[in-house]
Amino acid sequence: MRALDQFAAVLRKDLTIEFRSRDILYPMALFSFLLVVVFSFAFLSDRGKARDYGPGIVWVTVLFSATVGLNRLFDRERENGCLWSLLLAPVSAGAVFLAKVVGHLLFTGLMEALTLPLILLFFDLAVVDVPVFLAAIALGTVGVSLVGTLFSAMLMNARMKEVLLPLVTYPVLVPVVIAGVKVTALGVGAPLAEEPGPWLRFLVGFDMVFGVVTLLLFDRMVRA
Amino acid sequence: MKTGRFEDLTNAQAGLAAAAAVAVVAALVAVFFVAPSEATLGISQKIFYFHVGSAIHMMLLFALCGLCGLAYLGLGGRPGRATAIVDGLGVATAEVGVVLGAIVLVTGPLWARKAWGTWWTWEPRLTLSLMVFLLFLAYLALRAFAGSDRFGRGVASGLAVIGLPALYFIHFAVERWGGAHPQVVFKGGLQNPGMRVAFYASLAAMSLVSATLVSVRLRVEMLKGQLDALYLALDRRSAGG
Repeated sequence: MRALDQFAAVLRKDLTIEFRSRDILYPMALFSFLLVVVFSFAFLSDRGKARDYGPGIVWVTVLFSATVGLNRLFDRERENGCLWSLLLAPVSAGAVFLAKVVGHLLFTGLMEALTLPLILLFFDLAVVDVPVFLAAIALGTVGVSLVGTLFSAMLMNARMKEVLLPLVTYPVLVPVVIAGVKVTALGVGAPLAEEPGPWLRFLVGFDMVFGVVTLLLFDRMVRA
Repeated sequence: MKTGRFEDLTNAQAGLAAAAAVAVVAALVAVFFVAPSEATLGISQKIFYFHVGSAIHMMLLFALCGLCGLAYLGLGGRPGRATAIVDGLGVATAEVGVVLGAIVLVTGPLWARKAWGTWWTWEPRLTLSLMVFLLFLAYLALRAFAGSDRFGRGVASGLAVIGLPALYFIHFAVERWGGAHPQVVFKGGLQNPGMRVAFYASLAAMSLVSATLVSVRLRVEMLKGQLDALYLALDRRSAGG
C-alpha cells in the first residue's frame, strides 16, 4: 500500500496549497463564467435554438476551462525543480501522475459545479435524464484530465507551453467531445434517435485505454 | 568534394529517386491513357488515383511515426545510433506525412465538389484524414517549439505513441457520429481492368515517392546529428587549448 500512501501524500500537498492560494481554481472558475456569458451573447439570438447549442457549449466550456487549469497545474512543481525532486524521491512515478490527475479532476469538477448550472440557466435547458447527464460530464472530464495532465507535465519547461498544450491535446480529445456532446444532448432531452448506452460505453473505454496508456507513457517519458 | 545534387544522395537513394520518377510518369500515363473515363463522373474521377494513394501512404507513415515514437521511448532516449535513426525516422515520416495529408485534403474537396456537389462533408474518412493531419502538425509543432533536446523529442514521441490509440477512438467516434452522411462511392471496388492498372500504378508511384522523400529526410537528420557532434568536439578541443 506504499503507492497509495504516496498518492495520498502528493494529492494532500496539492490540495493544501490550492485551498490556501486558490491560484488554479479562481482563474478557472472566472474564465468559465466569462465563457458562458460570451457564448450567451453569441448564440442566444434565437431562443428556440438554445437546446441545439447547449450541449456543445457545455463541452467547449469544460475543455477550455480545463486547459486553463492544466496550464497552471505543474507551475508550482517547476520552481526549484520540484517535480524532479519529487520523482528522485523513492516514490512511484505512477502515484505522482495519478495524484496530479485526481487533483485536476477535483478542480475541474468544482469549476463544473459552478458553471454547468449557469449554462442550464442561461440557455433554459432542463436535465431530463440526470444520471446520463452526470455520467457524460464525469466520464468526459476524466478523459480530459488524463490526456491533459500527461502533456501538461511533459511541456512544463517548454517555451510557449500555453499554446502547445491545446495544440497537442485537442486532436486526441476529439472523441471525448463527440461522445460528450451526444450524451449531454440526450441528457437534456434532445430529440435524437440514439441511445446513450453505446456512447457511455465508448467513454468508459476511452478512459480505461488512456488511463493505462498515459500511466505507462508518463513513466517512460520522465525517464527518457 | 561532393557538391552535385545527385552526389549528395547515396547510390541506393539515387536509384530509389530514379525509380520513383519513372513510376510517376508511368502512373500518369496509366491514369490518362489506359484507364477509361468514369461513366458518370467523367474526367474528375482521375483525381481518385492519386487521392487514394496519398491517403493510404499518409496512414502508413502515421503508423510508422507512432512506432518510431514507441521505439524511441523504449530505448529511453539513450544517445546512440539506434536512437538517432528512430528519432530521425520519426521526423521524416511526420514531415512527408504532412505533405501527403495536404495532397489528400486538397484533392478530396476538389473531387467531392464534383462527385457529391459539396466541398466538404463531415464524412467519416474525411474527418479521420483531417485528424491525422492535425496530429502530424501538432507533432511537428512540438518538434519545432518544445526544444530539439532529449526532452522535446520525448514529448513528441509521446504524442506519436498516444496518437495510435487516439486514432482508433477518433475513427470509431466519427463513424458513429457521421452515420447519416454519404458513403464513399468505391465500396464495390474497381471493376474495370484499365482502372485497376492505373490505380495500382499510382499506388506504386506514391510508395516510391514517399520512400524516397523519407530516406532523404532521414539522411538529412542523421547528417545534422553528425554535424552537431563535430561542432561539440570542436568546442571541446578549443576549450582544452
